[in-house]
Amino acid sequence: MDTHLEVRDVSKSFDHVKAVDGLSLAVARGAVFGLLGPNGAGKTTTIRMIMRITLPDSGTIRLGGVTIDDDVRERIGYLPEERGLYRKMKVIDQLVFLGEVRGLPRPEARRRSVAWLQRLDLAGKANAKVEELSKGMQQKVQFAGAVIHEPELVILDEPFAGLDPIATRLFKDEIAAMRARGATVVFSTHVLPQAEELCDDICLINRGHVVLQGRLDEIRVRHSRRCLRVVTRAGEAELRGVPGVAAVRALNGAWAVDMADGVEGPALIRELAARVPVEAAEPLVESLEDIFLRNVEADHAAVA
Amino acid sequence: MLRWRKVATIIRREYLIRVRTKAFWISTVLVPVMMLAFTVLPTLMMSRTGGSYTVAVVTGNDALYAAFERAIGERTAVEAGRGAGDAAKGEAAGPRAGDVVVRLHRVAPAPDAAAQRLMLKRQVVAKELAGILVLPETVIADGKADYVATNVSAVRLMGILERSVDAAVVYLRLTSAGVPAEKVEALTARADMRPVKIGQDLTESKEAAFEKSFVLSYILTLALYMTMMFYGYYVMRGVLEEKSSRIVEVIVANVRPMELMLGKIFGVGAVGLTQYAIWVLAAMNLAVPGMMGLASMEGSSALLSPLLLVFFVVFFVLGYFQFASFYAAIGAAFNTEEEAQQMQTVASMVMALPLVMMFPVMSNPDSTLSVVLSLVPLFAPVLFFMRMTVQMPPTWQIVLCLVLLVGSIFAIARLAAAVYRVGILMYGKRPTLREIVGWIRSS
Repeated sequence: MDTHLEVRDVSKSFDHVKAVDGLSLAVARGAVFGLLGPNGAGKTTTIRMIMRITLPDSGTIRLGGVTIDDDVRERIGYLPEERGLYRKMKVIDQLVFLGEVRGLPRPEARRRSVAWLQRLDLAGKANAKVEELSKGMQQKVQFAGAVIHEPELVILDEPFAGLDPIATRLFKDEIAAMRARGATVVFSTHVLPQAEELCDDICLINRGHVVLQGRLDEIRVRHSRRCLRVVTRAGEAELRGVPGVAAVRALNGAWAVDMADGVEGPALIRELAARVPVEAAEPLVESLEDIFLRNVEADHAAVA
Repeated sequence: MLRWRKVATIIRREYLIRVRTKAFWISTVLVPVMMLAFTVLPTLMMSRTGGSYTVAVVTGNDALYAAFERAIGERTAVEAGRGAGDAAKGEAAGPRAGDVVVRLHRVAPAPDAAAQRLMLKRQVVAKELAGILVLPETVIADGKADYVATNVSAVRLMGILERSVDAAVVYLRLTSAGVPAEKVEALTARADMRPVKIGQDLTESKEAAFEKSFVLSYILTLALYMTMMFYGYYVMRGVLEEKSSRIVEVIVANVRPMELMLGKIFGVGAVGLTQYAIWVLAAMNLAVPGMMGLASMEGSSALLSPLLLVFFVVFFVLGYFQFASFYAAIGAAFNTEEEAQQMQTVASMVMALPLVMMFPVMSNPDSTLSVVLSLVPLFAPVLFFMRMTVQMPPTWQIVLCLVLLVGSIFAIARLAAAVYRVGILMYGKRPTLREIVGWIRSS
């Protein structure tokens, strides 16, 4: 794997509370990487450390093998979690300013700003002041400002928060376009279906450390418990008595039945049908959300 | 290592965003209007202190009364700005606004002095009389007279009465000592001292009335101080705005804090210079009455030399830079304007110290203390410039002052940049010592 962004063994405490604890990440070049985790998991702290807004207490952060310093940081496009723009400034001036600050010559910054406003359906608002825009519109402007210099790495902290479905679609398309251009995209979210839709790789963090990390499809296979959804009148105890059943949980008027090691799905379905009155039985594909919840719960249980 | 292209981008934004506001143009117009109001209003008010007064004079001595009446006739004419010789003509022309007119109402002392005094006092309270002047026989010997009135602080009237009594008494003493009446005026003529100011080049400017040069020094120095404060405060607000809107997080990815701070200070300072330029151009071309009033004030033409204007700008730029660095650091260290306010109050009090020292320094600009104080970089923009308006200091002092000031600015800007570096990205929590050390080491 060609590692683009590498976070190694990074820790950060605030007032003796460990926000990030020995966290390591590897983001492949050209991948869309999802940084997932519940609120307070340390996603934003990690991103702020990558951006050198806060410094880690220990550990190293490298971009393309080089420790991130002020110069390296300029190659990263960044959309912070808390949105901020100059409120009194016109939208077009703001984008041109951000483009210039990010190293574009003014005419080029202006050309790209106009193009971005077109793409984001904001062409009519070019001369409006930022404070006159809705929150969603401001978010679009800030998104354009973050990527106007076409950086090799884009970091988006909760990019979809507060967006309507149309704007969400627009952002997803732009992320896909950046990926197609060859840029690496890292974004954080706690809305898992979005991650499922966009990501090549994910990292699930909880309480400041990594719970799961890897390619999304591999994680699905590796971490989905081999499980059946069974509809039956039979009770939990009866199901548990069937050979090849490892565990049973209630699941929306049906049962989720985990397969024991070495048992195959079709065989277990036959076995179940032979022993209890089964109305329906099918393989249960766990969503990322299920995997996420189960792993976060397990992680909490590990502390308790 | 500063990247001036980035600094220039910041300067451009800071400058345009402010110059394009209505507030900028309103203040550009309002400040001279206010300055004008401050200089003209007191003059107007002073000229309204004239008026007509009726004063009862209780005396039994005809010679004394006659001398007094003559003396007061001269004094009110002089007060009105007409020569003593023109008294008769002035009378014909009638009193003008701002003149003090005194009507005398002679009262012979009654046998019952207490009852008479009581009656007159009633008239004073009823506002029929402005006051009662009691000139007993003994005044010629012991010089003690009473003036009874409800308002004993009507400065101009009191002055006229006092000097007239004095003149009358002196006249009587001299004539009774055998001095011919016609010689008294010549013998008691006042001696005047004429202030003459010399510059470093030994040229004399004799009209330089100290009172007026004082007013001009005061106005210029105050204007310098106020604009430095005002624009310094602008810088602080700008830093706080960037922090509270979190835009600073986006910008520092591509602009070093030092570049951001300098860009902000230069940009806002350029707005201040623009405002000055507009004022100067307007004053020169449109002949704004206030500016012309200042320039045409007696003796001030020598004070308002081009050299002084150059130094005004130099001290504004340097002083502003010093203040602005402080304010940038304060803005960076706090999260909201309310929080910053307390610190800002302390800072502005420290910076107001030179204003307190202005008067001693102005009255004795060459004393060792004045020289030393005015060379202290924190005070120099106000105090040294103040000394310049009174009397151009020797060249070595000017050079020393500028060297110290520039050196201090570099030191303060470095310190401010360190605070700024740490502060702009800190929210809510105070940075720990370890964090500050970490930042300083990493930058």
